[in-house]
Amino acid sequence: MMKIKSLLLTLAVPYATLSAQPIITNSQHIGFGPTRVLDTYLSAEHFKGVGLTYLSHTERQRDSIRWSTILEHEANLSSVKDRVDKKQELEGAYNFYWGKLYSWQLLGNRLKLQAGGLVNASLGFIYNTSNGNNPAQARVSLNLMPTGVASYRFQLFNRTLLARYELSLPLAGIRFSPNYGQSYYEIFSRGNYDHNVVPTTFVSAPEWRQMLTLDIPLTTHPSTFNIRIGYLGNMQQAKVNGLRQHVYTHRFLIGFTKRFSIIHRAL
Amino acid sequence: MKKYIVYLVSLVLLASCVDTEERPNTPTGNFEALWQIIDEHYCFFDYKQKTYGLDWNAVYNKYKVRVSDRMTEDQLFEVLTDMLSELRDGHVNLSYSMDFGRYWAWQEDYPKNFSDSLERRYLGTDYKIAAGIYYRILDDNIGYIRYESFQMPIGEGNLDDVLSYLALCRGLIIDIRNNGGGNLANAEMLAGRFVHEKTLVGYMQHKTGTGHNDFSSLEARYMEPSSSIRWHKPVCVLTNRSVYSAANDFAVIMRALPRVTLIGDHTGGGSGLPMSNSLPNGWAVRYSACPMYDANKQHTEFGIAPDIAVGIGSSDNDEIIETARKYLVR
Repeated sequence: MMKIKSLLLTLAVPYATLSAQPIITNSQHIGFGPTRVLDTYLSAEHFKGVGLTYLSHTERQRDSIRWSTILEHEANLSSVKDRVDKKQELEGAYNFYWGKLYSWQLLGNRLKLQAGGLVNASLGFIYNTSNGNNPAQARVSLNLMPTGVASYRFQLFNRTLLARYELSLPLAGIRFSPNYGQSYYEIFSRGNYDHNVVPTTFVSAPEWRQMLTLDIPLTTHPSTFNIRIGYLGNMQQAKVNGLRQHVYTHRFLIGFTKRFSIIHRAL
Repeated sequence: MKKYIVYLVSLVLLASCVDTEERPNTPTGNFEALWQIIDEHYCFFDYKQKTYGLDWNAVYNKYKVRVSDRMTEDQLFEVLTDMLSELRDGHVNLSYSMDFGRYWAWQEDYPKNFSDSLERRYLGTDYKIAAGIYYRILDDNIGYIRYESFQMPIGEGNLDDVLSYLALCRGLIIDIRNNGGGNLANAEMLAGRFVHEKTLVGYMQHKTGTGHNDFSSLEARYMEPSSSIRWHKPVCVLTNRSVYSAANDFAVIMRALPRVTLIGDHTGGGSGLPMSNSLPNGWAVRYSACPMYDANKQHTEFGIAPDIAVGIGSSDNDEIIETARKYLVR
Protein backbone atom coordinates (compact mmCIF):
# COMPACT_ATOMS: atom_id res chain seq x y z
CA MET A 1 0.00 0.00 0.00
CA MET A 2 2.83 2.39 0.88
CA LYS A 3 4.52 1.61 -2.41
CA ILE A 4 1.37 2.42 -4.36
CA LYS A 5 0.90 5.64 -2.41
CA SER A 6 4.50 6.59 -3.05
CA LEU A 7 4.12 5.89 -6.76
CA LEU A 8 0.93 7.96 -6.96
CA LEU A 9 2.63 10.86 -5.21
CA THR A 10 5.50 10.60 -7.64
CA LEU A 11 3.17 10.63 -10.61
CA ALA A 12 1.10 13.49 -9.26
CA VAL A 13 3.93 15.95 -8.64
CA PRO A 14 2.70 19.32 -9.96
CA TYR A 15 4.08 19.81 -13.42
CA ALA A 16 5.34 23.32 -12.64
CA THR A 17 8.17 21.81 -10.64
CA LEU A 18 9.16 19.44 -13.41
CA SER A 19 9.72 21.66 -16.37
CA ALA A 20 12.45 19.44 -17.75
CA GLN A 21 10.20 16.40 -17.85
CA PRO A 22 7.41 15.95 -20.38
CA ILE A 23 4.00 16.59 -18.90
CA ILE A 24 1.62 13.79 -19.77
CA THR A 25 -2.10 14.44 -19.85
CA ASN A 26 -3.99 11.18 -20.14
CA SER A 27 -7.76 10.91 -20.43
CA GLN A 28 -9.85 7.76 -20.36
CA HIS A 29 -13.41 7.89 -21.67
CA ILE A 30 -16.42 5.72 -22.23
CA GLY A 31 -18.93 6.99 -24.75
CA PHE A 32 -22.50 6.07 -25.64
CA GLY A 33 -24.66 7.43 -28.41
CA PRO A 34 -26.21 7.07 -31.85
CA THR A 35 -24.56 5.51 -34.91
CA ARG A 36 -25.56 5.83 -38.55
CA VAL A 37 -24.25 3.42 -41.16
CA LEU A 38 -24.45 3.33 -44.94
CA ASP A 39 -22.53 0.86 -47.07
CA THR A 40 -23.84 0.38 -50.58
CA TYR A 41 -21.75 -2.79 -50.99
CA LEU A 42 -24.03 -4.40 -48.39
CA SER A 43 -27.33 -2.57 -48.78
CA ALA A 44 -28.85 0.50 -50.40
CA GLU A 45 -30.60 1.19 -47.09
CA HIS A 46 -29.45 3.48 -44.28
CA PHE A 47 -29.05 1.91 -40.86
CA LYS A 48 -29.42 3.61 -37.47
CA GLY A 49 -28.73 2.44 -33.96
CA VAL A 50 -26.58 2.96 -30.91
CA GLY A 51 -23.06 2.10 -29.94
CA LEU A 52 -20.34 2.21 -27.33
CA THR A 53 -16.93 3.80 -27.63
CA TYR A 54 -13.79 3.57 -25.56
CA LEU A 55 -11.34 6.42 -26.03
CA SER A 56 -7.89 6.87 -24.56
CA HIS A 57 -6.36 10.27 -25.26
CA THR A 58 -2.78 11.12 -24.31
CA GLU A 59 -0.85 14.34 -24.87
CA ARG A 60 2.84 14.77 -24.00
CA GLN A 61 4.44 18.21 -23.90
CA ARG A 62 7.47 19.77 -22.25
CA ASP A 63 7.00 23.21 -20.75
CA SER A 64 9.81 24.74 -22.71
CA ILE A 65 8.83 23.25 -26.08
CA ARG A 66 5.83 24.29 -28.14
CA TRP A 67 5.43 20.94 -29.89
CA SER A 68 3.36 18.25 -28.23
CA THR A 69 2.64 14.64 -29.18
CA ILE A 70 -0.90 13.26 -29.34
CA LEU A 71 -1.67 9.55 -29.02
CA GLU A 72 -5.24 8.21 -29.16
CA HIS A 73 -6.85 4.79 -29.13
CA GLU A 74 -10.51 4.73 -30.08
CA ALA A 75 -12.57 1.52 -30.25
CA ASN A 76 -16.27 1.40 -30.96
CA LEU A 77 -18.98 -1.19 -31.49
CA SER A 78 -22.49 -0.46 -32.76
CA SER A 79 -25.66 -2.34 -33.57
CA VAL A 80 -27.83 -0.68 -36.20
CA LYS A 81 -31.10 -1.51 -37.96
CA ASP A 82 -32.84 -0.40 -41.12
CA ARG A 83 -35.81 1.98 -41.04
CA VAL A 84 -38.37 -0.83 -40.64
CA ASP A 85 -36.38 -2.71 -37.98
CA LYS A 86 -36.04 -5.85 -40.11
CA LYS A 87 -32.39 -5.90 -41.17
CA GLN A 88 -29.46 -5.56 -38.83
CA GLU A 89 -25.84 -4.58 -39.22
CA LEU A 90 -23.05 -4.69 -36.68
CA GLU A 91 -20.26 -2.16 -36.96
CA GLY A 92 -16.96 -2.17 -35.15
CA ALA A 93 -13.71 -0.27 -35.53
CA TYR A 94 -10.40 0.46 -33.88
CA ASN A 95 -8.81 3.80 -34.70
CA PHE A 96 -5.29 4.75 -33.72
CA TYR A 97 -4.22 8.38 -33.93
CA TRP A 98 -0.71 9.73 -33.60
CA GLY A 99 0.44 13.23 -34.36
CA LYS A 100 2.27 16.44 -33.50
CA LEU A 101 0.74 19.78 -32.57
CA TYR A 102 2.34 23.24 -32.29
CA SER A 103 0.91 25.48 -29.57
CA TRP A 104 0.31 29.17 -28.93
CA GLN A 105 -0.61 30.60 -25.49
CA LEU A 106 -3.01 33.55 -25.62
CA LEU A 107 -5.07 35.69 -23.23
CA GLY A 108 -2.60 35.40 -20.40
CA ASN A 109 -2.26 31.64 -20.82
CA ARG A 110 -6.00 31.11 -20.44
CA LEU A 111 -6.40 30.17 -24.11
CA LYS A 112 -4.14 27.66 -25.82
CA LEU A 113 -4.37 27.09 -29.55
CA GLN A 114 -2.68 24.13 -31.22
CA ALA A 115 -2.32 23.14 -34.83
CA GLY A 116 -0.68 20.20 -36.54
CA GLY A 117 -1.56 16.86 -37.98
CA LEU A 118 -2.57 13.34 -37.00
CA VAL A 119 -2.01 10.05 -38.72
CA ASN A 120 -5.08 7.82 -38.38
CA ALA A 121 -4.81 4.06 -38.83
CA SER A 122 -8.24 2.45 -38.90
CA LEU A 123 -9.29 -1.20 -38.85
CA GLY A 124 -12.93 -2.20 -38.74
CA PHE A 125 -15.87 -4.04 -40.21
CA ILE A 126 -19.54 -3.75 -41.05
CA TYR A 127 -21.42 -7.06 -40.83
CA ASN A 128 -24.87 -7.46 -42.38
CA THR A 129 -26.61 -10.33 -40.60
CA SER A 130 -28.88 -11.13 -43.59
CA ASN A 131 -26.63 -11.16 -46.63
CA GLY A 132 -25.22 -14.28 -48.29
CA ASN A 133 -22.09 -13.86 -50.40
CA ASN A 134 -21.55 -10.23 -49.37
CA PRO A 135 -22.15 -10.46 -45.62
CA ALA A 136 -19.46 -8.07 -44.48
CA GLN A 137 -17.30 -5.17 -45.49
CA ALA A 138 -13.75 -4.82 -44.20
CA ARG A 139 -12.66 -1.29 -43.33
CA VAL A 140 -8.93 -0.63 -43.43
CA SER A 141 -7.50 2.82 -44.02
CA LEU A 142 -4.60 5.13 -43.29
CA ASN A 143 -5.29 8.87 -43.26
CA LEU A 144 -3.40 12.09 -42.75
CA MET A 145 -5.60 14.55 -40.86
CA PRO A 146 -4.77 18.24 -40.26
CA THR A 147 -5.81 18.99 -36.69
CA GLY A 148 -6.56 22.03 -34.61
CA VAL A 149 -7.17 22.26 -30.86
CA ALA A 150 -8.45 25.12 -28.71
CA SER A 151 -8.28 24.85 -24.90
CA TYR A 152 -9.74 27.53 -22.63
CA ARG A 153 -9.24 27.65 -18.87
CA PHE A 154 -11.85 29.55 -16.86
CA GLN A 155 -13.27 29.95 -13.36
CA LEU A 156 -16.74 28.79 -12.40
CA PHE A 157 -18.10 28.16 -8.89
CA ASN A 158 -14.60 28.70 -7.46
CA ARG A 159 -13.17 25.96 -9.62
CA THR A 160 -10.82 26.06 -12.56
CA LEU A 161 -12.45 24.33 -15.49
CA LEU A 162 -10.91 23.48 -18.84
CA ALA A 163 -12.93 23.43 -22.04
CA ARG A 164 -11.19 21.77 -24.97
CA TYR A 165 -12.21 21.40 -28.62
CA GLU A 166 -10.29 19.21 -31.09
CA LEU A 167 -11.07 19.11 -34.81
CA SER A 168 -9.40 16.78 -37.32
CA LEU A 169 -10.08 17.14 -41.02
CA PRO A 170 -9.27 14.95 -44.00
CA LEU A 171 -6.33 15.52 -46.30
CA ALA A 172 -5.19 12.30 -47.98
CA GLY A 173 -4.79 8.63 -47.34
CA ILE A 174 -5.19 5.12 -48.66
CA ARG A 175 -7.89 2.56 -47.99
CA PHE A 176 -8.94 -0.96 -48.84
CA SER A 177 -12.12 -1.47 -50.83
CA PRO A 178 -13.52 -4.21 -53.04
CA ASN A 179 -14.37 -3.01 -56.52
CA TYR A 180 -17.98 -2.08 -57.24
CA GLY A 181 -19.40 -5.59 -57.72
CA GLN A 182 -16.36 -7.61 -56.72
CA SER A 183 -16.85 -10.48 -54.29
CA TYR A 184 -14.54 -11.25 -51.39
CA TYR A 185 -14.33 -14.76 -52.88
CA GLU A 186 -12.49 -13.27 -55.87
CA ILE A 187 -10.15 -11.24 -53.69
CA PHE A 188 -9.22 -13.72 -50.99
CA SER A 189 -9.90 -17.17 -52.54
CA ARG A 190 -8.80 -16.48 -56.10
CA GLY A 191 -6.39 -13.59 -55.56
CA ASN A 192 -8.04 -11.46 -58.27
CA TYR A 193 -7.17 -7.93 -57.16
CA ASP A 194 -8.77 -4.94 -58.86
CA HIS A 195 -8.12 -1.46 -57.44
CA ASN A 196 -8.47 -2.82 -53.92
CA VAL A 197 -5.97 -0.39 -52.38
CA VAL A 198 -7.23 3.07 -53.27
CA PRO A 199 -5.54 6.44 -52.70
CA THR A 200 -8.02 8.89 -51.16
CA THR A 201 -8.26 12.65 -50.70
CA PHE A 202 -10.54 14.96 -48.74
CA VAL A 203 -12.89 14.78 -51.75
CA SER A 204 -13.20 10.97 -52.02
CA ALA A 205 -12.88 10.30 -48.27
CA PRO A 206 -14.15 13.42 -46.48
CA GLU A 207 -13.66 12.06 -42.98
CA TRP A 208 -13.65 14.38 -40.03
CA ARG A 209 -13.71 14.10 -36.29
CA GLN A 210 -14.41 16.52 -33.49
CA MET A 211 -14.28 16.28 -29.72
CA LEU A 212 -15.54 18.82 -27.21
CA THR A 213 -14.73 18.16 -23.55
CA LEU A 214 -14.99 19.87 -20.21
CA ASP A 215 -12.59 18.99 -17.39
CA ILE A 216 -14.10 19.53 -13.94
CA PRO A 217 -11.94 19.32 -10.80
CA LEU A 218 -13.43 17.50 -7.85
CA THR A 219 -12.19 20.16 -5.41
CA THR A 220 -11.78 23.90 -5.44
CA HIS A 221 -7.99 23.47 -5.32
CA PRO A 222 -5.97 23.02 -8.52
CA SER A 223 -5.85 19.30 -9.18
CA THR A 224 -4.02 16.90 -11.47
CA PHE A 225 -7.07 14.64 -11.55
CA ASN A 226 -10.32 15.86 -13.12
CA ILE A 227 -13.65 14.44 -14.16
CA ARG A 228 -14.25 14.85 -17.85
CA ILE A 229 -17.51 15.02 -19.80
CA GLY A 230 -17.82 15.68 -23.48
CA TYR A 231 -18.92 14.84 -26.98
CA LEU A 232 -17.09 12.88 -29.67
CA GLY A 233 -18.28 12.94 -33.25
CA ASN A 234 -16.48 10.76 -35.78
CA MET A 235 -17.66 11.06 -39.38
CA GLN A 236 -15.90 8.36 -41.37
CA GLN A 237 -16.96 8.23 -44.99
CA ALA A 238 -15.69 7.39 -48.45
CA LYS A 239 -16.81 7.05 -52.03
CA VAL A 240 -14.36 4.81 -53.88
CA ASN A 241 -14.77 2.23 -56.64
CA GLY A 242 -18.36 3.39 -57.14
CA LEU A 243 -19.25 2.36 -53.57
CA ARG A 244 -20.47 4.76 -50.90
CA GLN A 245 -19.86 4.22 -47.23
CA HIS A 246 -20.36 6.28 -44.12
CA VAL A 247 -20.18 5.48 -40.43
CA TYR A 248 -21.24 8.42 -38.28
CA THR A 249 -20.79 7.97 -34.54
CA HIS A 250 -21.94 10.54 -32.00
CA ARG A 251 -20.95 9.80 -28.42
CA PHE A 252 -21.63 11.40 -25.08
CA LEU A 253 -18.36 10.93 -23.23
CA ILE A 254 -17.69 10.53 -19.56
CA GLY A 255 -14.33 9.79 -18.00
CA PHE A 256 -11.43 11.26 -16.17
CA THR A 257 -8.23 13.04 -17.00
CA LYS A 258 -5.00 13.08 -15.06
CA ARG A 259 -1.81 15.07 -15.51
CA PHE A 260 1.53 13.66 -14.44
CA SER A 261 5.20 13.37 -15.22
CA ILE A 262 7.45 10.35 -15.12
CA ILE A 263 10.69 10.90 -13.20
CA HIS A 264 13.67 8.73 -14.04
CA ARG A 265 15.75 8.34 -10.88
CA ALA A 266 19.13 6.69 -10.61
CA LEU A 267 19.15 3.77 -8.18
CA MET B 1 -1.84 31.14 -38.36
CA LYS B 2 -4.51 32.90 -40.44
CA LYS B 3 -3.60 30.83 -43.47
CA TYR B 4 -3.93 27.69 -41.44
CA ILE B 5 -7.41 28.63 -40.21
CA VAL B 6 -8.52 29.50 -43.76
CA TYR B 7 -7.21 26.12 -44.88
CA LEU B 8 -9.11 24.30 -42.13
CA VAL B 9 -12.36 26.11 -42.94
CA SER B 10 -11.90 25.36 -46.66
CA LEU B 11 -11.51 21.69 -45.88
CA VAL B 12 -14.68 21.73 -43.76
CA LEU B 13 -16.62 23.26 -46.63
CA LEU B 14 -15.19 20.83 -49.17
CA ALA B 15 -15.73 17.81 -46.97
CA SER B 16 -19.30 17.09 -47.97
CA CYS B 17 -21.33 14.14 -46.75
CA VAL B 18 -21.16 10.81 -48.58
CA ASP B 19 -24.78 9.77 -48.82
CA THR B 20 -27.44 8.33 -51.10
CA GLU B 21 -31.05 9.22 -51.75
CA GLU B 22 -33.46 7.01 -49.83
CA ARG B 23 -36.56 5.80 -51.66
CA PRO B 24 -39.81 6.17 -49.72
CA ASN B 25 -41.18 3.03 -48.10
CA THR B 26 -44.26 2.86 -50.32
CA PRO B 27 -45.17 0.30 -52.99
CA THR B 28 -43.93 2.72 -55.64
CA GLY B 29 -40.76 3.47 -53.67
CA ASN B 30 -40.02 -0.22 -53.19
CA PHE B 31 -40.66 -0.91 -56.87
CA GLU B 32 -38.27 1.87 -57.88
CA ALA B 33 -35.64 0.71 -55.37
CA LEU B 34 -35.78 -2.90 -56.58
CA TRP B 35 -35.64 -1.96 -60.24
CA GLN B 36 -32.62 0.28 -59.60
CA ILE B 37 -30.73 -2.30 -57.49
CA ILE B 38 -31.08 -4.84 -60.30
CA ASP B 39 -30.33 -2.22 -62.96
CA GLU B 40 -27.05 -1.24 -61.30
CA HIS B 41 -25.84 -4.63 -60.03
CA TYR B 42 -27.21 -7.48 -62.16
CA CYS B 43 -24.53 -9.05 -64.35
CA PHE B 44 -26.31 -10.85 -67.23
CA PHE B 45 -28.21 -8.04 -69.02
CA ASP B 46 -26.11 -8.11 -72.15
CA TYR B 47 -25.98 -11.91 -72.38
CA LYS B 48 -29.73 -12.29 -71.84
CA GLN B 49 -30.56 -9.49 -74.23
CA LYS B 50 -28.74 -11.48 -76.90
CA THR B 51 -30.18 -14.82 -75.78
CA TYR B 52 -33.89 -14.00 -75.45
CA GLY B 53 -34.24 -10.23 -75.91
CA LEU B 54 -34.30 -9.08 -72.29
CA ASP B 55 -34.81 -5.29 -72.11
CA TRP B 56 -34.71 -4.05 -68.51
CA ASN B 57 -36.06 -0.61 -69.43
CA ALA B 58 -39.03 -2.24 -71.13
CA VAL B 59 -39.51 -4.37 -68.01
CA TYR B 60 -39.73 -1.14 -65.98
CA ASN B 61 -42.49 0.24 -68.20
CA LYS B 62 -44.34 -3.08 -68.18
CA TYR B 63 -44.48 -3.38 -64.39
CA LYS B 64 -44.58 0.28 -63.36
CA VAL B 65 -48.24 0.46 -64.39
CA ARG B 66 -49.04 -2.53 -62.17
CA VAL B 67 -47.82 -0.75 -59.02
CA SER B 68 -49.92 1.67 -57.00
CA ASP B 69 -49.54 3.01 -53.49
CA ARG B 70 -52.92 1.53 -52.56
CA MET B 71 -51.91 -2.09 -53.18
CA THR B 72 -51.44 -4.60 -50.36
CA GLU B 73 -48.16 -6.18 -49.34
CA ASP B 74 -49.11 -9.49 -51.00
CA GLN B 75 -50.04 -7.78 -54.25
CA LEU B 76 -46.78 -5.84 -54.29
CA PHE B 77 -44.79 -8.99 -53.63
CA GLU B 78 -46.50 -10.73 -56.55
CA VAL B 79 -45.80 -7.88 -58.97
CA LEU B 80 -42.15 -7.55 -57.91
CA THR B 81 -41.60 -11.31 -58.13
CA ASP B 82 -43.14 -11.33 -61.60
CA MET B 83 -40.81 -8.50 -62.60
CA LEU B 84 -37.75 -10.39 -61.35
CA SER B 85 -38.89 -13.52 -63.20
CA GLU B 86 -38.21 -11.64 -66.43
CA LEU B 87 -34.51 -12.24 -65.66
CA ARG B 88 -35.02 -16.04 -65.82
CA ASP B 89 -32.47 -16.50 -63.07
CA GLY B 90 -32.68 -18.90 -60.14
CA HIS B 91 -30.23 -16.73 -58.23
CA VAL B 92 -32.67 -13.81 -58.28
CA ASN B 93 -35.00 -13.92 -55.32
CA LEU B 94 -37.19 -11.60 -53.31
CA SER B 95 -38.00 -12.73 -49.81
CA TYR B 96 -39.80 -11.66 -46.68
CA SER B 97 -41.24 -13.40 -43.67
CA MET B 98 -44.26 -14.77 -45.55
CA ASP B 99 -42.85 -15.89 -48.89
CA PHE B 100 -39.81 -16.54 -51.04
CA GLY B 101 -40.15 -15.17 -54.58
CA ARG B 102 -38.31 -17.27 -57.13
CA TYR B 103 -37.95 -18.29 -60.75
CA TRP B 104 -37.47 -22.05 -60.89
CA ALA B 105 -38.63 -22.81 -64.43
CA TRP B 106 -35.11 -24.01 -65.23
CA GLN B 107 -35.91 -27.13 -63.19
CA GLU B 108 -39.70 -27.15 -62.84
CA ASP B 109 -40.34 -27.23 -66.59
CA TYR B 110 -38.30 -30.40 -67.09
CA PRO B 111 -38.37 -34.02 -65.95
CA LYS B 112 -36.80 -34.50 -62.53
CA ASN B 113 -34.65 -37.45 -63.61
CA PHE B 114 -34.15 -38.37 -59.99
CA SER B 115 -36.02 -40.68 -57.61
CA ASP B 116 -35.61 -40.86 -53.85
CA SER B 117 -36.88 -44.44 -53.88
CA LEU B 118 -34.35 -45.52 -56.48
CA GLU B 119 -31.57 -43.68 -54.67
CA ARG B 120 -32.44 -45.74 -51.59
CA ARG B 121 -32.17 -48.93 -53.63
CA TYR B 122 -28.65 -48.12 -54.71
CA LEU B 123 -27.41 -46.72 -51.41
CA GLY B 124 -29.12 -49.36 -49.28
CA THR B 125 -28.96 -48.83 -45.55
CA ASP B 126 -25.35 -49.68 -44.82
CA TYR B 127 -23.79 -46.81 -46.77
CA LYS B 128 -21.16 -44.65 -45.12
CA ILE B 129 -21.42 -40.94 -44.36
CA ALA B 130 -18.42 -38.60 -44.36
CA ALA B 131 -19.65 -35.09 -43.54
CA GLY B 132 -21.80 -34.13 -46.56
CA ILE B 133 -20.93 -37.20 -48.61
CA TYR B 134 -22.87 -40.51 -48.65
CA TYR B 135 -20.87 -43.32 -50.29
CA ARG B 136 -20.61 -47.04 -50.85
CA ILE B 137 -19.19 -49.68 -53.22
CA LEU B 138 -21.78 -51.01 -55.67
CA ASP B 139 -21.96 -54.72 -56.56
CA ASP B 140 -19.87 -54.37 -59.72
CA ASN B 141 -17.04 -52.75 -57.74
CA ILE B 142 -17.95 -49.22 -58.79
CA GLY B 143 -17.58 -46.55 -56.14
CA TYR B 144 -20.70 -44.42 -55.66
CA ILE B 145 -20.60 -40.96 -54.04
CA ARG B 146 -23.77 -39.02 -53.41
CA TYR B 147 -23.24 -35.32 -52.66
CA GLU B 148 -26.67 -33.79 -52.28
CA SER B 149 -25.75 -30.21 -51.40
CA PHE B 150 -22.56 -28.19 -51.41
CA GLN B 151 -24.01 -26.36 -48.42
CA MET B 152 -23.04 -29.45 -46.42
CA PRO B 153 -19.35 -29.09 -45.54
CA ILE B 154 -16.56 -31.55 -46.20
CA GLY B 155 -12.94 -31.53 -45.16
CA GLU B 156 -9.74 -32.79 -46.74
CA GLY B 157 -9.69 -35.56 -44.11
CA ASN B 158 -13.17 -36.70 -45.18
CA LEU B 159 -12.08 -36.88 -48.81
CA ASP B 160 -8.89 -38.79 -47.90
CA ASP B 161 -10.98 -41.38 -46.06
CA VAL B 162 -13.63 -41.67 -48.79
CA LEU B 163 -11.11 -42.06 -51.62
CA SER B 164 -9.00 -44.52 -49.59
CA TYR B 165 -12.09 -46.64 -48.96
CA LEU B 166 -12.99 -46.61 -52.67
CA ALA B 167 -9.39 -46.96 -53.89
CA LEU B 168 -9.79 -50.52 -55.23
CA CYS B 169 -12.92 -49.69 -57.24
CA ARG B 170 -12.64 -49.79 -61.04
CA GLY B 171 -14.38 -46.44 -61.46
CA LEU B 172 -16.25 -43.80 -59.56
CA ILE B 173 -19.72 -42.28 -59.86
CA ILE B 174 -20.28 -38.84 -58.33
CA ASP B 175 -24.01 -38.23 -58.17
CA ILE B 176 -24.76 -34.52 -57.78
CA ARG B 177 -28.32 -34.63 -59.09
CA ASN B 178 -30.61 -32.25 -57.15
CA ASN B 179 -27.54 -30.49 -55.75
CA GLY B 180 -28.72 -26.87 -55.83
CA GLY B 181 -25.31 -25.47 -54.90
CA GLY B 182 -23.86 -24.01 -51.73
CA ASN B 183 -20.29 -23.23 -50.88
CA LEU B 184 -17.99 -22.95 -53.91
CA ALA B 185 -15.05 -23.99 -51.71
CA ASN B 186 -16.64 -27.43 -51.14
CA ALA B 187 -17.11 -27.92 -54.88
CA GLU B 188 -13.53 -26.86 -55.60
CA MET B 189 -12.12 -29.04 -52.81
CA LEU B 190 -13.85 -32.12 -54.22
CA ALA B 191 -12.89 -31.29 -57.82
CA GLY B 192 -9.26 -30.84 -56.75
CA ARG B 193 -9.04 -34.60 -56.10
CA PHE B 194 -9.42 -35.25 -59.85
CA VAL B 195 -6.94 -32.63 -61.09
CA HIS B 196 -3.44 -33.92 -61.87
CA GLU B 197 -1.87 -30.80 -63.32
CA LYS B 198 -2.67 -27.12 -63.21
CA THR B 199 -5.76 -26.86 -65.42
CA LEU B 200 -7.69 -23.94 -66.83
CA VAL B 201 -11.31 -24.54 -65.85
CA GLY B 202 -12.96 -21.19 -66.52
CA TYR B 203 -12.98 -17.44 -66.14
CA MET B 204 -14.58 -14.95 -63.79
CA GLN B 205 -15.21 -11.21 -63.77
CA HIS B 206 -17.15 -8.63 -61.79
CA LYS B 207 -18.93 -5.35 -62.31
CA THR B 208 -16.87 -2.19 -62.00
CA GLY B 209 -19.73 0.31 -62.21
CA THR B 210 -23.45 0.79 -62.57
CA GLY B 211 -23.55 0.42 -66.38
CA HIS B 212 -24.84 -2.84 -67.85
CA ASN B 213 -21.49 -3.41 -69.55
CA ASP B 214 -19.14 -2.14 -66.85
CA PHE B 215 -17.04 -5.23 -66.22
CA SER B 216 -13.51 -6.05 -65.19
CA SER B 217 -11.32 -8.08 -67.51
CA LEU B 218 -11.77 -11.86 -67.47
CA GLU B 219 -9.63 -13.52 -64.83
CA ALA B 220 -8.65 -17.11 -65.54
CA ARG B 221 -9.62 -19.79 -63.02
CA TYR B 222 -7.07 -22.52 -62.65
CA MET B 223 -7.44 -25.66 -60.59
CA GLU B 224 -4.34 -26.93 -58.85
CA PRO B 225 -3.91 -30.64 -58.06
CA SER B 226 -4.76 -31.53 -54.49
CA SER B 227 -1.70 -32.35 -52.39
CA SER B 228 -3.66 -35.19 -50.74
CA ILE B 229 -5.04 -38.43 -52.22
CA ARG B 230 -6.11 -38.00 -55.85
CA TRP B 231 -8.32 -40.21 -58.04
CA HIS B 232 -6.72 -41.42 -61.30
CA LYS B 233 -9.39 -43.81 -62.64
CA PRO B 234 -12.44 -42.94 -64.77
CA VAL B 235 -15.17 -40.83 -63.19
CA CYS B 236 -18.79 -40.27 -64.15
CA VAL B 237 -20.62 -37.21 -62.81
CA LEU B 238 -24.40 -37.59 -62.80
CA THR B 239 -26.42 -34.44 -63.49
CA ASN B 240 -30.00 -33.29 -63.87
CA ARG B 241 -31.83 -29.99 -64.30
CA SER B 242 -31.65 -29.31 -60.56
CA VAL B 243 -27.85 -29.11 -60.60
CA TYR B 244 -27.46 -25.41 -59.98
CA SER B 245 -25.04 -22.72 -58.87
CA ALA B 246 -21.95 -24.22 -57.14
CA ALA B 247 -23.03 -27.69 -58.35
CA ASN B 248 -23.24 -26.38 -61.91
CA ASP B 249 -19.78 -24.93 -61.39
CA PHE B 250 -18.53 -28.32 -60.19
CA ALA B 251 -19.91 -29.91 -63.38
CA VAL B 252 -18.22 -27.19 -65.46
CA ILE B 253 -14.88 -27.80 -63.73
CA MET B 254 -15.14 -31.59 -63.99
CA ARG B 255 -16.01 -31.37 -67.69
CA ALA B 256 -12.66 -29.66 -68.30
CA LEU B 257 -10.77 -32.62 -66.77
CA PRO B 258 -9.60 -35.77 -68.57
CA ARG B 259 -11.20 -39.14 -67.68
CA VAL B 260 -14.38 -37.40 -66.50
CA THR B 261 -17.72 -38.00 -68.22
CA LEU B 262 -20.96 -36.16 -67.49
CA ILE B 263 -24.01 -38.40 -67.70
CA GLY B 264 -27.70 -37.59 -67.28
CA ASP B 265 -29.63 -34.43 -68.10
CA HIS B 266 -28.62 -30.86 -68.89
CA THR B 267 -27.62 -28.95 -65.74
CA GLY B 268 -29.77 -26.09 -64.45
CA GLY B 269 -27.08 -23.39 -64.63
CA GLY B 270 -26.77 -20.41 -62.33
CA SER B 271 -23.28 -19.16 -63.12
CA GLY B 272 -23.54 -15.76 -61.46
CA LEU B 273 -22.13 -15.47 -57.97
CA PRO B 274 -25.10 -14.03 -56.06
CA MET B 275 -25.05 -11.03 -53.75
CA SER B 276 -27.74 -9.52 -51.56
CA ASN B 277 -29.38 -6.18 -50.91
CA SER B 278 -32.55 -4.92 -49.25
CA LEU B 279 -35.54 -2.72 -50.00
CA PRO B 280 -37.03 0.17 -47.99
CA ASN B 281 -39.68 -2.22 -46.58
CA GLY B 282 -36.99 -4.65 -45.38
CA TRP B 283 -37.53 -7.30 -48.04
CA ALA B 284 -34.33 -9.06 -49.06
CA VAL B 285 -33.31 -9.22 -52.69
CA ARG B 286 -30.67 -11.52 -54.15
CA TYR B 287 -29.19 -11.22 -57.63
CA SER B 288 -26.39 -12.57 -59.80
CA ALA B 289 -23.43 -10.23 -59.41
CA CYS B 290 -20.26 -11.86 -60.78
CA PRO B 291 -20.46 -13.92 -63.98
CA MET B 292 -18.44 -17.13 -64.25
CA TYR B 293 -17.53 -18.72 -67.57
CA ASP B 294 -16.27 -22.10 -68.70
CA ALA B 295 -12.78 -22.74 -70.08
CA ASN B 296 -13.92 -21.58 -73.54
CA LYS B 297 -15.17 -18.24 -72.15
CA GLN B 298 -18.76 -19.32 -72.68
CA HIS B 299 -21.57 -18.49 -70.27
CA THR B 300 -23.00 -21.42 -68.32
CA GLU B 301 -25.86 -19.41 -66.81
CA PHE B 302 -28.38 -21.70 -68.53
CA GLY B 303 -26.46 -24.87 -67.72
CA ILE B 304 -24.33 -27.27 -69.72
CA ALA B 305 -25.19 -30.40 -71.68
CA PRO B 306 -23.92 -33.79 -70.47
CA ASP B 307 -21.51 -35.89 -72.51
CA ILE B 308 -24.05 -38.72 -72.49
CA ALA B 309 -27.67 -37.58 -72.33
CA VAL B 310 -29.95 -40.10 -70.68
CA GLY B 311 -33.10 -39.95 -68.56
CA ILE B 312 -33.92 -41.91 -65.44
CA GLY B 313 -36.27 -44.19 -67.41
CA SER B 314 -39.40 -45.93 -66.19
CA SER B 315 -37.99 -49.27 -65.10
CA ASP B 316 -37.11 -50.31 -61.57
CA ASN B 317 -33.55 -49.16 -62.20
CA ASP B 318 -32.12 -45.68 -62.30
CA GLU B 319 -31.04 -45.62 -65.95
CA ILE B 320 -28.65 -42.74 -65.34
CA ILE B 321 -26.74 -44.72 -62.71
CA GLU B 322 -26.94 -47.87 -64.86
CA THR B 323 -25.54 -46.01 -67.87
CA ALA B 324 -22.64 -44.76 -65.76
CA ARG B 325 -21.95 -48.29 -64.43
CA LYS B 326 -21.89 -49.72 -67.95
CA TYR B 327 -19.65 -46.89 -69.11
CA LEU B 328 -17.18 -47.49 -66.29
CA VAL B 329 -16.97 -51.30 -66.69
CA ARG B 330 -16.80 -51.31 -70.48
